[in-house]
Amino acid sequence: MADQNKTSAKVEFGNELLNPSELFEARTRSHKIPVRGQKDFIPTGSDQQKDRLQQSLDEHWNLVSEERVERLGNLVKAVWIPSDMKVELQSPAGKFWQTMGFSAHGKQCLHPEEALYLMECGNLQVFYQDLPLSIQEGYERFLYSKTMSVQHYQVFGHLKRLGYVVNRFDPSSVPSQYERQLNLPQSLDRSGRLPKRKRSHSPTSRHTGTQEGPTSKRMEEEKDCNREEEDKNPDSLPDLSAPDIDEIQTASYVDPTTSTEGGQGRSWWSKEGSPDPDSELPGQPQSSPRWDFSSIPFPDLGSRSWLPSSLTSPDPCLLPGAVGSVGACDVAPWLQRLNLREVRMSRRECERERDRDRYRRDINQDREVRRCRNWAEYQELQGRRIQRSRRDRPTHLWEGPVTPLHDPAQVTSTGELLDKISVIKSTRLLEGASSLKGSEEWRICFNIYQPDTVAEFKKSAPGKPYSRMCVCSFDGPVPDLWTLKLLAFQSGDVLVTYAVVDHGDISFYSFKDFQIPTDTSF
Amino acid sequence: MDSPEQKITKTVSRVDASKESMANSRQVIGINFCGPTPLMWRADDLKSVRELGIIGTLVGSLARQPRQNTRLGRPLELLPEEGRLLADMGRAAVIPDSTNEDPEVNPEQVEQYHAGLENSFQEQGALALEDRKATLMRVMTKKHNENSGSQEDSDGAVRDRLEALAHGFSFPRTAMAVQLCTARAGLSHCPEVRRFLAADWPIPRDERSETRFRVFRDLRRQGFYLTSAGKFGGDYLVYPGDPLRFHAYFIVVCISMDESMPLCDVLAIARLGSNVKKTVLLCSSGGSQEDDGEEVVYTSLQWSGMV
Repeated sequence: MADQNKTSAKVEFGNELLNPSELFEARTRSHKIPVRGQKDFIPTGSDQQKDRLQQSLDEHWNLVSEERVERLGNLVKAVWIPSDMKVELQSPAGKFWQTMGFSAHGKQCLHPEEALYLMECGNLQVFYQDLPLSIQEGYERFLYSKTMSVQHYQVFGHLKRLGYVVNRFDPSSVPSQYERQLNLPQSLDRSGRLPKRKRSHSPTSRHTGTQEGPTSKRMEEEKDCNREEEDKNPDSLPDLSAPDIDEIQTASYVDPTTSTEGGQGRSWWSKEGSPDPDSELPGQPQSSPRWDFSSIPFPDLGSRSWLPSSLTSPDPCLLPGAVGSVGACDVAPWLQRLNLREVRMSRRECERERDRDRYRRDINQDREVRRCRNWAEYQELQGRRIQRSRRDRPTHLWEGPVTPLHDPAQVTSTGELLDKISVIKSTRLLEGASSLKGSEEWRICFNIYQPDTVAEFKKSAPGKPYSRMCVCSFDGPVPDLWTLKLLAFQSGDVLVTYAVVDHGDISFYSFKDFQIPTDTSF
Repeated sequence: MDSPEQKITKTVSRVDASKESMANSRQVIGINFCGPTPLMWRADDLKSVRELGIIGTLVGSLARQPRQNTRLGRPLELLPEEGRLLADMGRAAVIPDSTNEDPEVNPEQVEQYHAGLENSFQEQGALALEDRKATLMRVMTKKHNENSGSQEDSDGAVRDRLEALAHGFSFPRTAMAVQLCTARAGLSHCPEVRRFLAADWPIPRDERSETRFRVFRDLRRQGFYLTSAGKFGGDYLVYPGDPLRFHAYFIVVCISMDESMPLCDVLAIARLGSNVKKTVLLCSSGGSQEDDGEEVVYTSLQWSGMV
């Protein structure tokens, strides 16, 4: 073997170059890899063992020292641009373009790790300063940064050789949870943000002035001064101008008078007998926040006791400015859309209903509730009721600094009760993850897509990856809970796999969220 | 290029001879660092290093079949202990990274490259023509043997066909075979220059690496072959002979002498060892930082029962 070294040193000084005849002969090289035989357990020093070892070694050196020889027509030419850390193609890309590479300024480009992989596969020849780069130079030039080190490339190469599609991870391409809920089609352009829905605030009793009718006095009694919600500017109120048919409030009166104008297109109703709203609010501008809902009829179209044939046209001052006067509303087509059929229940069901209703109090019959004009007042009422009920509790338990966890008078389910008295709360992996700041050490590097999706894979719309990869090594620290939460949050709803590289061996680990089921059947 | 070679043989003979049998042309083996990872690229370096008992791990694609993971090719990744041992023996040197030098195009080299390519193209074209002619001859002689016509006629026909072939033959440039080099060509591969360029081996300062290195060196001295054992939960796998032919005997776990190991760890590693049918060796290096006089203490764990 020493002689071999000498002769090769003579032929090409320090190179492993093949001469043209060798290159020519390489066309007919075998492409098969010999199978490795069984191993022995004890070294006996016998000749047979020595021969077999020599044979294995010769085979091994044969394979390892073989150089890559490719037909020039099969090679794609490219240029390495160190300032941008990318490889620019100079001849058209081959089949690999379907899953690798990107376009920049109209040119086809590859990331350094993709280019290196293609060089190792013998598909690409990269030039730098007009000379072709060897694989060694590729490693040394393309892999010197911390974001793409030899370990990262080993994982990349390992997965690509298995057939997976591997791309670089881009944190901004992960859809937020809200976007996932909406099931938005994922596009690469993320400039548009969804407009927020305008929120309208319920009017509070603070603004019911003296100009209202006699019914308003009753409402003022109910007024609670420490109301949290403040009524904002009058501008929010025109939102309420359109009467909601859905709002069920038994109207005190309705004038089912037929209107003079025939309803064309939109027909609304008005109250004939009501006083002119303008007179109700003297000196107030048109956009006054006061509405006398007792005098604005909201017809109960679901009520069985009264079925109007048509609804009268509403007062024009209640409608938005430009609409003007609309005709009467023909109720018949609307009623057809409501299910007004009587519910037919069997005898058993009737009995069950009766039992339930014996102790149920209809919320609509509750006088206090009926006095509430909007949701905010109703919540206040509920709050006051809870306060009142709390006054009946034993003082020695409830007045001290330490109170019981649960009030037996309160109704709650077994699951909630268990939750309340539990000392250790179970948590999910993503809890609290949104507030974690990024880390220098731990990053998600790649997106992995499964091999069987290669045929339909589109770089512009790759879809949800199978997994995301984070590369670490056995010499480094084990990922702690903080890291797991951080990376799981960054990844969205895709599982994060940790690829641990140890001198050429790669092991994959992933951490899955698991909830221990609680038994609430007792 | 004869004189540098003569110089090499002279300098090599001055190197202190060790027990190695191959003493003729002992080149200094080059190790290239890619970041913190020591790699070796040249096939003859890999061979020399294996003769010294250093196995390493192949981590690149195999040239013959790049799209599979069962057998990988160059580069060879070395354990830090392997590199350090080679440097200590004086057999290897770290080649400094030269990627940041030569920012401009070197017109001489480019010209050389293109000349070489053109030469290769011409030669391959000639070889291709010869190959075609040989095929043609084979086919025609077979036909002639079958038809058994007159000798002169057939000779004339052959000559005509060969001439026609020579005229009409074209070897397109795209059909030329080109080599994609694995290792870098360059001056740094001259052994003399390597010795000159050698940078210092980065020696880590922490106790664990020191323990690992001493255990490695001791086991290597005893003739065992060692590879990394991350998959088995240990530091090294110990083979009685070349790993290509033999199964591993031991899983080595390096711990420092004063370190106390929790019992559950001992149980875990013992259980693992018994599952894979290997003996677990707990190794510690006693003594001070000096090279001489320190010894490595071995404790083996074997799962046994009470009979």
